[in-house]
Amino acid sequence: MSYLITLVVYGAVDVIACLGLSLQFGIGGVTNFGYIIFQAAGAYVAAILALPPESANGGFQRYIGGFDLPFPLPWVGAAVAGGVLALPFTFLVGRRLRGDFAAVGLLVTAVLLNLLVMNFVPLFNGDAGLASVPAPLQSAVMPVTSSSYQWEFAVGVVVLAAAVFWFIRHITESPYGRALRAMRDNDKVADSLGTNLLSLRTGMLVVGGAIAGLSGGVLVTFISVWSPPAWTYAETIVLFAAVIIGGRGNHVGAVVGAVLVPVGFEESTRLITNANPSLPPNLLPSLQWVAIGLLIAAFLWFRPAGILPERRRLIALPAPSTQPRAHAQQAPAEPDRAGVPDRAVVKVQPAPPSAPTSPPPADTATAPPDIVLEATDVSREFGGVHAVSGVSLSVTRGTLTGLIGPNGAGKSTLLALLAGTDRVSAGTIRYQGQDVTNVAAFRRARLGLVRTFQLASEFKRLTVLENLLSAAPGNRGAGFFGAAAGRRYWRDDEAAAIAKAADILRRFGLEGLANSNAGDLSGGQRRLVEIMRALMTEPRMLLLDEPMAGVHPELARRIGDLLVGLCRDGMTILMVEHELAIMDEFCDPVIVMADGSVLAQGTMAQLRDRTEVVEAYLVG
Amino acid sequence: MSIFMASVGFGLITSAVLAIAAVGFTLQFAVTDVLNLAFAAVMTAGAFVAYWINQLGVSIWLALVVAMIACSVLSVALNLGVYAPFQRRGTSPITIVIVSLGMALIIEFGVEAIVGGINVSYTMSQGGTLEAGGLILTTVQLTIIAISLVVMAGAHALLRYTKLGKAMRATAANRSLARNCGIRTGRVITFTWALTGALCGVAGTVFAIDVGSFGPTSTDLFVVLILAAVFLGGPGHAYGAMLGAAAIGLATEVSAAYIQPDYKYVIAFVALLATLAVRPSGLLGART
Amino acid sequence: MSADRTVAGARIQAEGVTAGYSADPVIRAISVQAQPGQVTSIVGPNGSGKSTLLKSLVGVVRVSAGRVLLGDRVITNMPPEEVARAGVGYVPQVDDVFAPLTVMENLEMGGYLLARAAIADRVEHVLSVFPRLKTMARRPAGKLSGGERKMLAMGRVLMLEPSVFLLDEPTANLAPAIAGALLEEHVRQLADRGAAVLIVEQRAKAVLAVSDRTYVLGGGELRMEGTPAELAGSPEFVDSFLGGGRPRALPSTET
Repeated sequence: MSYLITLVVYGAVDVIACLGLSLQFGIGGVTNFGYIIFQAAGAYVAAILALPPESANGGFQRYIGGFDLPFPLPWVGAAVAGGVLALPFTFLVGRRLRGDFAAVGLLVTAVLLNLLVMNFVPLFNGDAGLASVPAPLQSAVMPVTSSSYQWEFAVGVVVLAAAVFWFIRHITESPYGRALRAMRDNDKVADSLGTNLLSLRTGMLVVGGAIAGLSGGVLVTFISVWSPPAWTYAETIVLFAAVIIGGRGNHVGAVVGAVLVPVGFEESTRLITNANPSLPPNLLPSLQWVAIGLLIAAFLWFRPAGILPERRRLIALPAPSTQPRAHAQQAPAEPDRAGVPDRAVVKVQPAPPSAPTSPPPADTATAPPDIVLEATDVSREFGGVHAVSGVSLSVTRGTLTGLIGPNGAGKSTLLALLAGTDRVSAGTIRYQGQDVTNVAAFRRARLGLVRTFQLASEFKRLTVLENLLSAAPGNRGAGFFGAAAGRRYWRDDEAAAIAKAADILRRFGLEGLANSNAGDLSGGQRRLVEIMRALMTEPRMLLLDEPMAGVHPELARRIGDLLVGLCRDGMTILMVEHELAIMDEFCDPVIVMADGSVLAQGTMAQLRDRTEVVEAYLVG
Repeated sequence: MSIFMASVGFGLITSAVLAIAAVGFTLQFAVTDVLNLAFAAVMTAGAFVAYWINQLGVSIWLALVVAMIACSVLSVALNLGVYAPFQRRGTSPITIVIVSLGMALIIEFGVEAIVGGINVSYTMSQGGTLEAGGLILTTVQLTIIAISLVVMAGAHALLRYTKLGKAMRATAANRSLARNCGIRTGRVITFTWALTGALCGVAGTVFAIDVGSFGPTSTDLFVVLILAAVFLGGPGHAYGAMLGAAAIGLATEVSAAYIQPDYKYVIAFVALLATLAVRPSGLLGART
Repeated sequence: MSADRTVAGARIQAEGVTAGYSADPVIRAISVQAQPGQVTSIVGPNGSGKSTLLKSLVGVVRVSAGRVLLGDRVITNMPPEEVARAGVGYVPQVDDVFAPLTVMENLEMGGYLLARAAIADRVEHVLSVFPRLKTMARRPAGKLSGGERKMLAMGRVLMLEPSVFLLDEPTANLAPAIAGALLEEHVRQLADRGAAVLIVEQRAKAVLAVSDRTYVLGGGELRMEGTPAELAGSPEFVDSFLGGGRPRALPSTET
């Protein structure tokens, strides 16, 4: 009977530890090969909080502290210790260090701390470890040895494990959890969307550490002893094996893994040993480790997603909002029928093609209220080379302005200067009349000036809808404490974001893909996801870097139609693009750059007649 | 002999052993792109192969050669059977590191399952002692240092003066361009596993000779020193690993003369974390 | 330049090649061929698939349809090292040298397939073609200037005396004067000595001046082909760069 209780308690403790790792590694993508030291810290701190001063028990063991504190303070202290211990390691998880190097650093830390604790006896009694740690809530009425006490302890720990599961799930299924998964899938893009990677990863180390610490605290008050052999670096691998086998990113999987791997292995070892008492003492534990190694490799090869793979988070789209704009949004969804007349309307108005020799719009763009973005004499040099030199241009509200030029003309650099992701060497940039030359990129984004990138940048294991939601600004649940405060605290923000995302998806005709994983889309659809994600920030002006690169021509035209539609509704867009046929169809005016300067501006038809443009393209 | 000089002597031997392992580890990483955390486990396997041969009455120095061959074969098998298939599938580097930890468990505890949890020693004579400049070293210790110097000189000659060594550096620097030059990088990588595996076998055996009594988990702490030497010098950089090994070996042993010897690894640990924090590319910067 | 030596050139040919990095092909059904003794150029706007075409010829990018022929030998999807061994020298646009290796070591790697004795001979030849490299033989390639680096990259493929040269924008990021000299002196000479040269270029005018035959790519498809004289006189040629509407029919029919 008491063996069964022990099994239940061990199982619950392993479940708690695996849940912490499931959050840290499976959701946050932080590979912490030193995870076990956080459990150890919790165990030691719980022990010294519960133990009386070392002199009280005849001095047979040495340790610091000895506070004789009542339950539940040792457990609370264990969790706090695990969380606080994480803080010195945050320098390992910033942007600069490769994830595998950081993991090596943490692994070495685990090996070293074990050695130090083993050798520095005054701290936690060294190699022998601590013993006689008092169990919680024991009394004369219900002594520790009584079966009813043990059962109650077991039930209590199972309830605690359930509470931890609830908490982790709660955090994961919040906007904060979504931000974590986005970071796990593509940290560079999450960074460019304004996510604070260091803060998210620090959060993961601290929360994971606290949960590991709690598991250690619970364990030590049950088994009453704790020593360095209980937390060698290899124990971390057991927990990793449990999470990988159960299913990364699936907390139920972590529970299954915890029961199968640590508990299952202990159990099977015991049964085999009991059946064959003549076996050498070390053989089974050794083979158990070998089996864990084999299981890790086998699962990563044959079933990398684990027994219970991460599931897609399905979110029902709300009914279409009854905005008057709705009919205009429907039009681009059927490009073949509605797209063509739309383009004709847009193209005719600002610069009639019948006047090819009329002055380019730059000359007439002196009416201040219509200029959204204006660059004056902007230059950028890299070590003596002028990537952009003395560029002046202005973009009029409601236009889809194209930016073209041969390789190395400085288009992407100019876009970066306008967006603020790169700093000008000279010149000024004004956005909506305000001088933004020295305003940081994320602040410009908040003012409504938003850029996209050339590389594919979707979060693969998030749905299309989640990709959009990850860019929604000002969600109260996007921080840890907001997420912890509960769904009620952030559900209004979330509902508003979902409604906005649903509108954008419908406008792009992609509502049917809302709940598909972004990683399963075609290349062109991924570009659309990126544009839609930019729209979630409610920009007034978009800077697009080759939104149609590598996209099938048919879809490229559809993207063009959608962009024209956006401009008709008041958006201003500046777009870099290679394929000049696209420029012909959708962009007016078009700005040509060559060798870092603006060469000409006008409709594509006008530009094609200008020899300097032709020369620039042919000479390169 | 003063305590200081004695500690320098220990430092030299530790550096010598460490340099063999660190150069092997760093070359493996540079050419194959695998951060192989099973390296120390393969060292252990090599030390026990040498022990088994030694028990048959063969000189430990001959047994060392057998260990070298065994570890070479084991490393090639690890790559062909495990790492290369994962890499071909496009598995992320961090996942391959996790796989290598799994391999470390399989090898280390596989050895333990076979030999049991006991510590063993080689049957060998320590030889006489030599004194020079205040240092007193046994013949065996001098032999270890000599082996290490030969390995370092060999590595230098290989990488600088032979076609194969240059092909290894070319593969590490730009695998795609190396293939465009007609270099069969698959074979270069297999050779690299064989070579670094051989270094691993040498390192494992001389490590076991140096510590005297060893068991299946004896290299657990030595890993810290290897990683510290590799990262201090710059991961993937062979000369950096030599420099790192000299610095870490001397620093740990000399510090052991003045603080409690059990804490000597702290120096390596601090050096490793400081490198990761301040200069992740290591002292000698980019890859070989 | 010592143009006394000649090499046995070979024809390289793409037949209806479709290729790309994943499910989405970057180039579709492209047929081009380069004859020995000629400079064949591929021009076209940014993103038209020129580099991908070269990479598909040397086995760096997977061909999903069509085939690649070297002479009469089918080399479709052969590993890059085997393509090199078959006599194709390829200079990529970026990462074109081994940065940590010295200039001399880079050349030695270029001559990896040669016997030891032959290497010194070839190095001497390459240094006579690019005398500038002589003074920097022991410098790491990563420390060279852009022009020197490109010379080294060209010198590296020269080591093997390949029968086919595939050059991916060798003049990118070079000053116009250096670019012109590179094309007129070195690229032209390679063909004059018998090799087939297939060159991808952004500088259409400059490369046309040294070409025997030119292909124009756009949007991953073949748009035009012809001799430089035919193309230069054609308004469609200019349009193909400046995107004057739809893809046009090819002036000459494909084989």
